[in-house]
Amino acid sequence: MDSQDIDLRNITYQLFTEFGRAPSATEIVQATGLSTDAVRSGWRRLHEAHALVLDATTAEIRMANPFSAVPTRYRVAAAGKSWYGNCAWDAIGICAALHCDGRIDTICPDCHEPLTLNVRSRQVDRPELQFHCLVSAAHWWMTSSLPEAR
Amino acid sequence: MNLFRSEEHIRSWLGGRTPGATLPISKLAELAFAWWSDRLSADWQPHTRDQNQAILTRLGLTGEFWRLP
Repeated sequence: MDSQDIDLRNITYQLFTEFGRAPSATEIVQATGLSTDAVRSGWRRLHEAHALVLDATTAEIRMANPFSAVPTRYRVAAAGKSWYGNCAWDAIGICAALHCDGRIDTICPDCHEPLTLNVRSRQVDRPELQFHCLVSAAHWWMTSSLPEAR
Repeated sequence: MNLFRSEEHIRSWLGGRTPGATLPISKLAELAFAWWSDRLSADWQPHTRDQNQAILTRLGLTGEFWRLP
């Protein structure tokens, strides 16, 4: 991953945090002055390096971990904005990445009861909640499948 | 990678499936902050496999289940 690709990766993340959603390739072109081909080929290299995940159909951003470009059951509100996290780990990770407190709204996958938790100074206010990771690190490290299924 | 109301709800959700790993949310918060805190840093560099494995190990997440390929 060279410095130009890291710059592209960083502006992609910057706009994701600013917009509360994934930036499109067109928006990256407008923000950087790069050509569309340069953005798309750079995103492809970043995808192959596991630095972000592209949608298989549209080649737009699908995941810029811990952020999700599509709605999930993990909604995170922080710093006056909101995003979707790819999974429970990523939802808290959004607060970690932003270095701020936040609120996570989700549901229990078993009973579907709404769950709300607050992250304050790196602590979560619902100590009774349990996290379950269904598959091993060898699996989730290599795959870009939807994390909520794991 | 989901949050549940309790371990009982995890067992119910799994049905007959083989369980993975269950962590208290306090441990998940430790993991999330260790894993993601540098994600928006201007000088971000990709973590190596060994750096990420070291995070898991430091938090006591060891054994085959937590071994990165």
